[in-house]
This record gives sequence, structure tokens and C-alpha cells, in this order.
Amino acid sequence: MDPLKEFWRQQTRRAFFRNTGLAAGRIALGSLLIPGLLRAVGKTSMPPPRAHPSLPGLPHFAPKARRLIYLFMNGAPSQIDLWDHKPRLGDLFDTDLPDSIRQGQRLTTMTSGQKRFPIAPSIYKFAPHGKCGTLVSQLLPHTAQVVDDLSVIRTVYTEAINHDPAATYILTGNQVPGKPSIGSWISYGLGSEAENLPAFVVMTPRWSAKRDAQALYQRLWGSGFLPSRHQGVALRALGDPVLFLNNPSGVDSAARRSMLDGVAKLNEAAFKRSGDPEIQTRIAQYEMAFRMQTSIPDLTDISNEPESVRALYGPEVTQPGTFAASALLARRLVERGVRVVQILHREWDHHGDLPRDLPLQCRDVDQACKGLILDLKQRGMLDDTLVVWGGEFGRTVYCQGELRRDNYGRDHHPRCYTMWMAGGGVRGGLVYGETDDFSYNIIRDPVHIRDLNATILQLMGIDHKRLTYSFQGLDQRLTGTEESHVVKGILA
Amino acid sequence: MSDPDLALFIGRFHPLLVHIPIGFIVLLAVLEVLARTRRFRNANVNAGLIMALAVSGSVFSVICGLLLAQDSSYDENLLGWHKWTAVAMTAICMVAALLHRLELYIPYRWTLSLGLVMLLIASHFGGSLTHGRDYLVEHAPGPIRNLLGGIDEKTSSPATLAAGYSGLQVYSAVVHPILDRHCVGCHGPEKSKGGLRLESHSALLKGSKSGPVFTPGNATDSVLVKLMLLPIEDENHMPPDGKPQPSADDLALLAWWIDAGAPDEVTVGNLQPPTAIIRILESRFGTAPAPASAPSPKALSEILPTGQQLAAELSIAITQLSETDPWLQANASVAGPGFGDAELARLAPLAANLRWLDLSGTSVTDAALLQVAAMQNLERLYLQRTAITDAGLKSILPLADLYYLNLYGTAVTDEGLIALHSLPKLKQVYLWQTQVSPDGARRFADLRTDTAQLKRWQEEIDALQAKLRNQKIVIETGAPTSTPPAAKSAGPINTLCPITNKPIDPTKTLQYEGHLVAFCCNDCKTTFEKNPEPHLPRLHLSSTNSPAITP
Repeated sequence: MDPLKEFWRQQTRRAFFRNTGLAAGRIALGSLLIPGLLRAVGKTSMPPPRAHPSLPGLPHFAPKARRLIYLFMNGAPSQIDLWDHKPRLGDLFDTDLPDSIRQGQRLTTMTSGQKRFPIAPSIYKFAPHGKCGTLVSQLLPHTAQVVDDLSVIRTVYTEAINHDPAATYILTGNQVPGKPSIGSWISYGLGSEAENLPAFVVMTPRWSAKRDAQALYQRLWGSGFLPSRHQGVALRALGDPVLFLNNPSGVDSAARRSMLDGVAKLNEAAFKRSGDPEIQTRIAQYEMAFRMQTSIPDLTDISNEPESVRALYGPEVTQPGTFAASALLARRLVERGVRVVQILHREWDHHGDLPRDLPLQCRDVDQACKGLILDLKQRGMLDDTLVVWGGEFGRTVYCQGELRRDNYGRDHHPRCYTMWMAGGGVRGGLVYGETDDFSYNIIRDPVHIRDLNATILQLMGIDHKRLTYSFQGLDQRLTGTEESHVVKGILA
Repeated sequence: MSDPDLALFIGRFHPLLVHIPIGFIVLLAVLEVLARTRRFRNANVNAGLIMALAVSGSVFSVICGLLLAQDSSYDENLLGWHKWTAVAMTAICMVAALLHRLELYIPYRWTLSLGLVMLLIASHFGGSLTHGRDYLVEHAPGPIRNLLGGIDEKTSSPATLAAGYSGLQVYSAVVHPILDRHCVGCHGPEKSKGGLRLESHSALLKGSKSGPVFTPGNATDSVLVKLMLLPIEDENHMPPDGKPQPSADDLALLAWWIDAGAPDEVTVGNLQPPTAIIRILESRFGTAPAPASAPSPKALSEILPTGQQLAAELSIAITQLSETDPWLQANASVAGPGFGDAELARLAPLAANLRWLDLSGTSVTDAALLQVAAMQNLERLYLQRTAITDAGLKSILPLADLYYLNLYGTAVTDEGLIALHSLPKLKQVYLWQTQVSPDGARRFADLRTDTAQLKRWQEEIDALQAKLRNQKIVIETGAPTSTPPAAKSAGPINTLCPITNKPIDPTKTLQYEGHLVAFCCNDCKTTFEKNPEPHLPRLHLSSTNSPAITP
């Protein structure tokens, strides 16, 4: 039967009045409660919306940072060998970790079977640096030069003791997968500024310690239940940074353009019919991909960077896929209006042979971290760009496996570890918090990873309690339902 | 012609429909009163029917009214009052109808009276919306006008009154409201008769199909004014006979503005109005003097839609800076070289609200900085990697709130930098990759430093330190002759047993070289007593805050 006739047949007088009457009432009530509703739908002359506008009412406060560069050291760098100097451990080599310190702490299965927990003092020398005199390990000689710009937080802690839940926890606010990442939340709240680049870009550079590294998962930059356009776009370390971006052979730019125009016409017709805003999002995404065909090559071509700038990041900056190259790209990305850049550097998980691997890992990132800070600074961008460095948890003071004078390994340690922040709204030259003589427990000023996330959002102009998304019957937020506080002590 | 818009089309039946329930309700009220008299005691036999008609009429009117309310040309405050009183009236009538149906006649009459009062209030607001606030009482005798006019005084925008008139923008605060009230209905975005639109300054300049409608600097020769001054019988008179007419004061203000060159962004104070105009302005905006020279920002709710529209059209980002303040941040750097002086000029309506402006990497030139100078509330200005030079930088000297200025990668020299020293709040200047020499930067820093003030502060610090020194009391008791007794009372020096590293039992202690040492059990205590030497390092470390023991 003809569907149209079928429709008319079923359209009785009663049905018509019931439907139209209710609909008119709904429109009236809706417009009464949400002024501007009809204005938006009724007028077709509105320009197409921006790809990712900010949510109404955001930012909540004047932002201190307009952009975020998150340097994530996946695998958990050893705070005892890099930032949290414990000189008195030297005398305690190979003595047992006191029970009064461990206090029945849950251990991973990698060391829970160990008969004893011998203390492994760091073999690396620490020295005060900068005007502030913050103690930094000899493994980070370059980062030490910019320590006056850093807020070193020695008392970050978490509950998770394994990589997967811990990384998921700090980057998405929950150990259970499925929540949006911090970059997605920021993209969702503040929107994108650039029309030709995504709001949230991720890079996963290679690493030097030639070992298998902990896996990364897309959920670390995924959008969870938020609309998928807020997920991080991962640039590949080698080859084309974005796959399938270039036109296939035989298709030139003009042909691509006319195809997109055709698709856009069809999509617009569909939008006029149904008014579904997702269609406009789709149109905008196609357009962004088209613009990325030129913006991405322009982004990755660093030939116009002056030699002095490249030198800041170190010799590896010219090799695509290194941490140094990624750090330079991060600066170029935020300069072009990208909100959040996250670099995930892998293989910091030194259960054994730490003295062999940790220096290699540090060499990967050390100079580039300094370069990034100095480069942002000379451009006046450190003032409104927030840089965050750190991993998912810390490492134990006791040795995993065989302890020797010159070789040791460390297991996972969630109770305290060190991260640093620099730039927009953060006080430089600061050491925040204090741990005990074993870098095992926090004595003063604990900072839960939720507090850290709340602080990052605060600096970006977002009240973490009010950036919510209704899902599964709960107003979800990055910091979850548990209490969390902005770390006021590190704010400038 | 404007686009078809079903919602507005239906909405415009509101003024027609609205009189139906008014008629019914007034009729019902009259009938109910009459029914109390003997002669007309049956007057209300059809009250139920009339009530039903009144309620359904009200509901349809309200729906149409809500659709019409989407047309943004109405005074929002007044519209809100009209909307909610009308909805309340409808609800009250529904209750009255229900009470009538339940044969509860006494509460029904009271409710109906209440509905009638609400009807009068709602109608008055409705009338004010279409005919203007002062329509009803404009020609009323003085006392009545004062009585009713008092309400209107309160509902008019308090911000305007507080600011006084001399800081007001001539176009946006004085001229635009006149045109908006009397002209934009037919010459605006909805309808543009004769191709003429008067809703914005730029549209005004464009004129109609047959050319410009006014000559800046010469009001008497301007079509706009001429047509308004024609006698009302003349068929060319504007606004047409039957529409609300502008007052003589309105025309005087309009003529004054055109005579002054019809500028867009200029304050009343800057135009130095003649006494006659001052009198009119005072009667409209009050006599309070303007508090500051910087233009006061518009409310966020008012300016943000304009900003978002502009952002979409120019492919740049414009958002609020925070929830609580009226400030905006604009980032044009994302549009790159496609954003130039012409595009910047389009941000003029946002000028008073812009707090942060990022023009880095755009193709703006020195000429654009004249536009920037009008953004007098700017705090952060990003001009890096643009073609601006020393010459242009001089224009931004009026920016009294500017504290962040990024000039890296421009052709700015020492001279341009030194000229900026009078910017009162400037705190951060970025000059990498410019022509500024280290010496020039130093001279600038010296100019910006109030050495006299620094010297005064240093003197204050010295004086305070001297006071601190004077507070110190020197007490000399000589060298201690024996072990200080304090060590005993301080409790054990360790928290962990030096033998087993377990927590101590505070009751298992012994004195060792003047220190109280505690153990976890008596066995350890004995072990230590026999041979303390091997355990001393551990004791050293696990001691809390007493001095270390050196054997």
C-alpha cells in the first residue's frame, strides 16, 4: 500500500487534534521555559554553527590558561630518583622497610611474594637549582634549568596500583573505563577555537629504553559518553600524521571540493527535513577534514623554525616521532588554537634494571621539556598555557628483585609521587607537599589526582563541580562524586 | 522580503485574538454583577458557556503571544511582565471555570474578580508593548501621570541612569532607540521597505534602494529627517499616519547627531551637545556626570549573541571571559592572514566588552590599531607576528587597563616601545624577535620603574628591620654546667626500635649518653644494653627531632 495513503487513512480527526494540540502546547511551553528556542529553529538565515562552540555559560571564571599541554609519562617515573630527594636513605641500604611505614599497604602481585622489602636508595645525585633552590636529580639537567618556572608537587597520590586502572583513573577520573578523558571534558566545555584543527590532539612519541612498554589505549584520550567529536585526535608518530587525510591518487583538490559540496548539499537538505543538529556537526567535520589537508602539512613542516628554537628542544627535534619533535609540534598546535595537546611517552615502568633504563627515558624528554618551557616563555605563551608533567603513580622505595649497589628495580607505589605544573596561573619555583623519609607516605599537603584534575580545570576557567554531563542517571563529571579540592597552594 | 516564518505568522494573530477573551471576561464580570440585581437576576445563566469561551480564547491568545514573543524587537522586561501576568490570568480563569463547574459560586466570584484584575494588568503591559510605555498617561493630568509614571521610571534600565548621559554612546544609546521604536518595524531585518534598514549603524549608512538617506553633517538636507518633518497628512510622511510618531525631542536628537557627522562610536561628552540638546538628554538620562571615560560594557546577555554571530561569520572565536562579568575574549589568530583590518572593524559593536584580543598572525596593520584603541577595556592584547610598527602602536595609548602586550615578531623598535611607557597598567611586554635592543628594553624598564617609590619602600623596610633588631633581648646565662635536664622530659628520641625497626613501646626505655632510647620489647633493650654500637646508625635515622648521637 502507498505509505502516504496509509498515513492519511490513519490520520483521523481525533488523532490530528490530539497530536497538533499537544505539539502546539509543547512548543508554547518550551518557548516559555527556554526563551530563544523558536528563534533558533524558526529562522533559517542563521550562519552555520561553529564546529565546536563552547557550552553556554562557560568559562565559569576568567581562565588563567587558554591551552593545556599534558606531558604524560606512561608507566610511572620513579619520584625517588628524579624529584623527591631522600638523602638519609643512603645509610639504610639493604635494610628492611619498616612495617610502621608500609602500614600493611596493598602490594602488586609482582612484589607481594617477596620475603623482604630492602630499601634501595637512589644512586643519583641531587643538587639545588635556580633561584628557588629546588632539588633536582642529575638525570634531569635541562629541566633543572627551568625549575624556577615549575610548581613541583611531591605529594600526588592515587588508589590504583596497576597501570591500566591508574592511567585511566588520572586521565579520565575513574578506574573503570568508559569515562571521558580530561581533554575531552575541556573540549566539550570550552569548545574549539581553531576551525581547521581539532580541539584536542594526542601524540605518542617513541622511546629509547629498548623494552616492551605498557600499552596505551584510546580511552586515555577517548570521549566516553560525551559526543564523539570531543575525543582526542591522535597524530601518528611516523608517516602521515593523520591517516587517509591526503587525497587518493587520481583525485585532485578540486574534485574533492566538488564532492564535499555535493555531500554538503544533500546533508543540508536532510537537515532542513529533520532539523537534526548532528547533521550540521557532520557537515562541519567534513569541512574540517578538508581544511586539515592543508593545515596538517603546514603544522608538521618545521623548516621555518629558526635554528635557535630547534636548538632549545635538542638534537632529536628534527626526527619525526621523537618526544622532542612532539614537544615542538605541541607548541605549534597550541599556537594554532588547539585547546589541549597530550603527549604520552611510554616505558617508564622500571621494575628492574632501573639504572639502565631510567637515564635513557630521561634523556628522551629532559631537554625537550626545557625547550618547550623556554619557547613558550619567549613567545609570551607560557603566561596562558598550562604545562603538566607526570605519570599515573610513583615507585617504591624498596627494591623489586635483586638489590645491588649499582642496580635495582622499583615496584608501583600509589601513595605518593611527583608531578610538576608550569605556566598559566601556576606559581613558579615552588615545591608543594612533603613526604616521609622513605618517600612512602605523605606528611603534609596531600594532592589526590582528583584534586589535580580539579586544579587543571580551574586554571582553564572551569568549575569542576559544574561541568557535568547527564549519563546513567548521574550528573557525571571529571572529578566524580567524591570530594575534591582545587590545590590553592600552587596557584599564582 | 523576509523569509517565511510560520511561528511569527501565527504569532501575529495575537493582537487580534487577544481581544476575544478580554471581551468575554469583561462581559462575564458585568453579567455577574447584573445578576445580583433583581431585574437581571437571570443574566448569568450562560456564565458556564462564556467562561469556557473565555478560557479557550485565552489559551489560544497565550500560544500566539508566545510565538510572537520570539520576535526580539520587544522590550524584554516589559515582555516578561506581560507574558507572566497573561499566563497567570489564564490560569486563574481556568480555576474560576472549574469552581463554576463544581457549583462553588462564592469562591468562583472571588476568583473571577482576581482574574479581572490580572486581566487589566496584563492588558496594560500588552498595550505598553505595542504603543510605548508612556502611551496611556502621556496626555493625562499631572497627578495621574506621576502616579502611573512612577512605575515606568523604576522599570527603565538602572545602568543607563547611573552612568549619566555624557558617557553614553551617541548612536547606540541615544539615536538607535529612537529609530528602533519608530522605524525598525518596517525598515529592519524583518521588513525592509524601500530596501532601507535602520537597525544598525552600518545598515543606516547604506541607505535605501534610491541611495543614502542622510548626509552626515547636514540634517536639514537629509531625507531621513525631511520625511519625518513633513505634515502628517502628507502621504510621504514617516512614520505613516496611524503609527506611533516620534516626539519633537526625538527629532531634535536625531538632527543633532546627523549634524555632528553621524558617528558610530563616540560618547555624548565627546560631541559637546548644545544646551537645548543637553536639556533633552538630561530629561531622558538624568543629570549624573559620567563616572569614567571608558565606555561601560553592555550586559553579557545582550552582547554575547552579537559576538557569536560575528565569530561564525568571521571564523574566529569569541566567548565570554567569565560568568560574572560582561567581558568577552576574542581570538582572531585562528583565522590567520584571512583576518585583516576590515574584519577587525566589524568587531566595533563589541568594543566596550572586549577584554582579551588575540590578533597574532593575522594581517592587521597599523590602521587597525585605531580600532583597537576604541576597545578601552582591553587587558590583554596579542599583536605578535603582525605587520604593525611603531607608528601604529601610538594609537593604543588610551588603553588604560592594558597589562599584557605581546609584540614578538613585529617590526617594533626602541622608539615604539618607549612611547608605550605611559600605559598605566602595563606589566608584561613580549619583545622577542623585534628590533628592540637590550639597551632600549632596559631604558623602558627604567621608565616604568618608579625609583622614588622603590627608594621609599626600601627605607621603610630598613626602618622596620631596625625595629626588629631593637626588639631582640640579649640574655646571657653562661655555658651549661651539666647535661640539660630537658632531654629527659622530651620522651624517647626514636619512634622505631633500633634493633627490629618495629614501632616502640614507650615503657621499654633506657638512658644512653643522655638520651632516652625506646625499644619494642625487653629483649631488644637487653641486646642494646650489651652492645649498642651496631645499632647506632639506625637509631640515628629513626630519631625524630633530637640531635643526632655521635658515639
